[in-house]
Amino acid sequence: MTLGTKDQTQPIPGREAEEMGQVSPEVARMSSYLEAISDALRHEMRRDETVFCLGQDIGGFGGAFKVTDGFFEEFGAARVLDTPLAENAIIGTAVGAAIEGMKPVCEMQFADFISCGFDQLVNVAAKMHYRQGIAVPMVVRLPSGGGFSGGPFHSQNPEAWFMQAPGLKVVAPATPADAKGLLISAIRDPNPVCFLEHKGLYRAVRGEVPEGEHTVPIGEARVVRPGEEMTVITYGSALHLALRAADEIDASIEVIDLRTLVPLDREAIVASARKTGKVLIAHEATGGAGIGAEVASLISEHAFEHLDAPVRRLTAPDVPIPFSPPLERAVLPQFEDMKEACDELLSY
Amino acid sequence: MSVSELRERPDAVVDPESGGQPPLTGEDRLRLLRLMLMMRLSEERALNLYKQGKIPGSFYDGCGQEAISVGAAFALAPEDRLCILHRDLGAHFVRGLTPDRYLANYMGRSGGPTGGKDGNMHFGDPGLGCVGMVSMLPDMALVASGLALAFKLRGERRVAMTFFGEGSTANGQWHEAMNLAGIQRLPVVFMLENNQFAYSTPNELEFAVDPVKRARTYGFGGLSVDGNDVEAVFAAAAEAVERAREGEGPTLIECRTMRMHGHGAHDDMSYVPEEMLAEWRDRDPIERWSERLAGEFSVPPKRIKELREEVRAEVDECAERALASPMPDPAIATEGVFANEWRPLGNGQAPWSRWKQREAGAAEDQDGAAA
Amino acid sequence: MSSSATSVETATAVVMPQMGVSVAEGTIAGWLVAAGDEVVADQPICEVTTDKIDIEIPAPAAGVLSEILIQEGETVGVGTPLATIGGSSPPATPAGEEAPEPLDEATDPPEIDRSAFFSPVVRRMADEHDLDLSRIEGHGVGGRIRKRDLLTHLGGRSRPLHSDSPYRPDPEPVSDPDPGPAAAPGPDDLLGPVRREPLDPMRKAIATHMVESRRTAAHCTTVVEADFSAVARERSATKEEFARRGVPLTYLAFVARATVEALGEFPVLNASFDADREEIIHHEDVNLGIAVAVEDGLLVPVIRKAQRLSLEGLAAAISDLAQRAREGRLDPDDLHGGTFTITNPGQFGAVIATPIIHQPQVAILDLEAIVRRAVVVEAEDGTESIGIRPLSYLCMSWDHRALDGAISARFLARVRERLESWGVRS
Repeated sequence: MTLGTKDQTQPIPGREAEEMGQVSPEVARMSSYLEAISDALRHEMRRDETVFCLGQDIGGFGGAFKVTDGFFEEFGAARVLDTPLAENAIIGTAVGAAIEGMKPVCEMQFADFISCGFDQLVNVAAKMHYRQGIAVPMVVRLPSGGGFSGGPFHSQNPEAWFMQAPGLKVVAPATPADAKGLLISAIRDPNPVCFLEHKGLYRAVRGEVPEGEHTVPIGEARVVRPGEEMTVITYGSALHLALRAADEIDASIEVIDLRTLVPLDREAIVASARKTGKVLIAHEATGGAGIGAEVASLISEHAFEHLDAPVRRLTAPDVPIPFSPPLERAVLPQFEDMKEACDELLSY
Repeated sequence: MSVSELRERPDAVVDPESGGQPPLTGEDRLRLLRLMLMMRLSEERALNLYKQGKIPGSFYDGCGQEAISVGAAFALAPEDRLCILHRDLGAHFVRGLTPDRYLANYMGRSGGPTGGKDGNMHFGDPGLGCVGMVSMLPDMALVASGLALAFKLRGERRVAMTFFGEGSTANGQWHEAMNLAGIQRLPVVFMLENNQFAYSTPNELEFAVDPVKRARTYGFGGLSVDGNDVEAVFAAAAEAVERAREGEGPTLIECRTMRMHGHGAHDDMSYVPEEMLAEWRDRDPIERWSERLAGEFSVPPKRIKELREEVRAEVDECAERALASPMPDPAIATEGVFANEWRPLGNGQAPWSRWKQREAGAAEDQDGAAA
Repeated sequence: MSSSATSVETATAVVMPQMGVSVAEGTIAGWLVAAGDEVVADQPICEVTTDKIDIEIPAPAAGVLSEILIQEGETVGVGTPLATIGGSSPPATPAGEEAPEPLDEATDPPEIDRSAFFSPVVRRMADEHDLDLSRIEGHGVGGRIRKRDLLTHLGGRSRPLHSDSPYRPDPEPVSDPDPGPAAAPGPDDLLGPVRREPLDPMRKAIATHMVESRRTAAHCTTVVEADFSAVARERSATKEEFARRGVPLTYLAFVARATVEALGEFPVLNASFDADREEIIHHEDVNLGIAVAVEDGLLVPVIRKAQRLSLEGLAAAISDLAQRAREGRLDPDDLHGGTFTITNPGQFGAVIATPIIHQPQVAILDLEAIVRRAVVVEAEDGTESIGIRPLSYLCMSWDHRALDGAISARFLARVRERLESWGVRS
């Protein structure tokens, strides 16, 4: 009759749910998403001498977002390599170094600037193993996402670009624990991995992060919250909107965090669609030919006879991300949009 | 090394005259000829296969430029690494690739280094320390810089080498590569093949300032050599490789030459004046080297003739092998997008007597130690 | 009327600026002016520190700094008003704060009759269960029959609609024992009408955790009886004083204090069990979990570094956590990092219980109801008599993997001793 406890991994009604850890608190500590990324990098650099970082302003300055703050002092200029403003040079030399057995972690100052290094990424890095059987173990860190009046060149979520370049793995963690676990996995993966880190989560989201060794397998989605009546399939910043909506709406909503976009966890997606019959796919990136479109087609191919409603998407419309706050808010999915989309689907 | 230290000697230039007589033995000189012949005859053979419909897609060769890839790659040690481009078949042969694999790659057969996944000159044998090119130029200049960066980070006495045409020097990535290699003083040698045309675009529409002059503005040396003189190319490359190995940074070596065929087999070169071709035909690198061997180094002309026949027979035999190589199983088309593990590149062959001697010495040391 | 007259009346808010795209908050490092000071536009008025940069904030307008809203040392989110300059009217909402205009497209389409439209899953289920859809009422949009309507219709007896892997065929339905046309009434029928209620997430979580804990830990329960006379005396002596300071002093606070002290002596109980690594993790801090019953379940908020808190500090913390737990205002941080848990269902009159350990901790202490009982009491001169004493059972479940019975008994004895000697030594 006495209930000594309550599971700590479940969200508390009315609470922000990003704090949910998958880990026991005794070996974890509260970290911001940004600290978790630094922690992962530091852990790998201490563990493995072949891991090094390269990018603009990452050395003594510590990086535009301070992810590598203190790294220069600990690891030295050679392993925290300040590069000139040359994205193709960053990616291209990383490819060469990776082929020769180093594990470079490139930092794009903003994900948007990957366009300037795109050639090396999609033509050289992505195709290397398929063409020649040469592995390219490297990571490209991509601070992405909007919500801060970054405007059209500092706010993008370019993940769909990479999905069209076979040979790249793409991960987009939403929680500090996943950020650490996926970055470590990405560094150890023998392929080029695009690591999308949402700038809006850097300091706004905190959660338990296991100390020391912690990996999250690439390619596995997580059922963050099980439910019966509908599913929200999401990742990155939109996960937090989805969890809040699931908290506030009086219905059993399943929330799935994709975490990895390439390779997609097709089984998790299809299983949930078959289970609930109603699916909303939500992401901050623009909708056209995006991750949501891919997930929706997967569901229509493999779960059609289980659907009880049209598969819906909540995404940014196909426009550049505008600068002015009211315009940006109109474009990026907001909590109200999420709630409305869930309500509509539930009442269908 | 700090940037300020680098800036103290921005004009470190390789002087081709200062190197003195490169230590080539008589054997080395014949090897150079043999390798150039192998490139010429393999490409002739491939062009025939192309015309016979045995090679799908398009065809590119390096006719007239044999001295460059052969001479430059000849300077490398086994542990050095190469990114080889499409006019540089000779460099593959220097490292130990056999013509059958080259021909099989062109024919899209399973015996080629890419197993049919990529075609023509887009290959490198990882087991021989070579990374294959991509079509975007000069992307491999950055990849080679990255290989060199790995050597530098690990404190290894190793060198990366890559090739590109003068057309590539117009692309932004060329600047990114030169600039980064200069800043980081990377152990990389850039072999620039100025073959007068980027497809149909002549030098005067490619750049206002000569790329060699530009090399100095990146903080390292640049020089020009006669690209149709295999010994001159070798001498410049050997010195640049040595400088790189000693931590003295990159070098840009311009090899002046002429592309004697079209950009590809589909190009009739109507834009090249006939007199220009005739003039360069007289400076054919293989003919010139053969004449020098016969004259200056007293190799009997009969030996040179025999060598040519030996190589021709070898290429014929390789062509048969390539034609016998099966087409790839369509099932592999969707395989290998992702790697399951990283594996190191292998060392290439290094036919220069210097490296053979080093290996022999090492073997002796080992024998001695064992005894 | 001049526009300047208007601007004097309208207050201007000084807000926490956004110093970089990922910066979400800033801390006031100091105010350079005081409330009531006259400031000119662009004059630095306060210093703000963020994790990226430290800056001085210039006054957004000229006027009197009428109010400082955020004090030095406080950390607030971007856009939070820090102070007000000028004016008697409330500060104008910063432009960025305006609610976005609703999008026009929100107008609902006219309701269409969808009662004859059947979604793929509805068609499939109707086939599988041989249902006449025209006889089922739909509750979806336009009267559409939803999967949920069918499930309700089927009374939850349909086989699962999904299997774990989409790439495997659905498993064959498990053949229910065929009741046959004339089968005898099953046990279910004897139950009479039932109402099925799906587990809510909290219930489900509790269920999972409890079963898991019982499955992993080697649960043992040790019980001691403690005399709360000394505590009761202490409590009546100080209760009102505490109350004046806004702190309700409960028996639980005394037990918490005694427990924290005892844990200092028996650190093996302030630990976690890591079976995977075959390690016991000892914690320096006592992070004391307090189980709080809420409307539809149970929460265990944690008092961090409880060893640093006095009786009053613990009482205040317990009261605060309990209140916020019941109001759903706990911070997520509050629920993590416990090293030892106390539960107190005794407030509802129960006298004994065997609680389940909150994994991965190694013990949980249960304070039951304090009941007045007749006991043998010993006077100072050694004579015995029957007295009335407030007594309670302290029941502790502990994990036999991590410790043994002697330790737990000694620990409980120490807690009891402390409770029974309250006021004697302090």
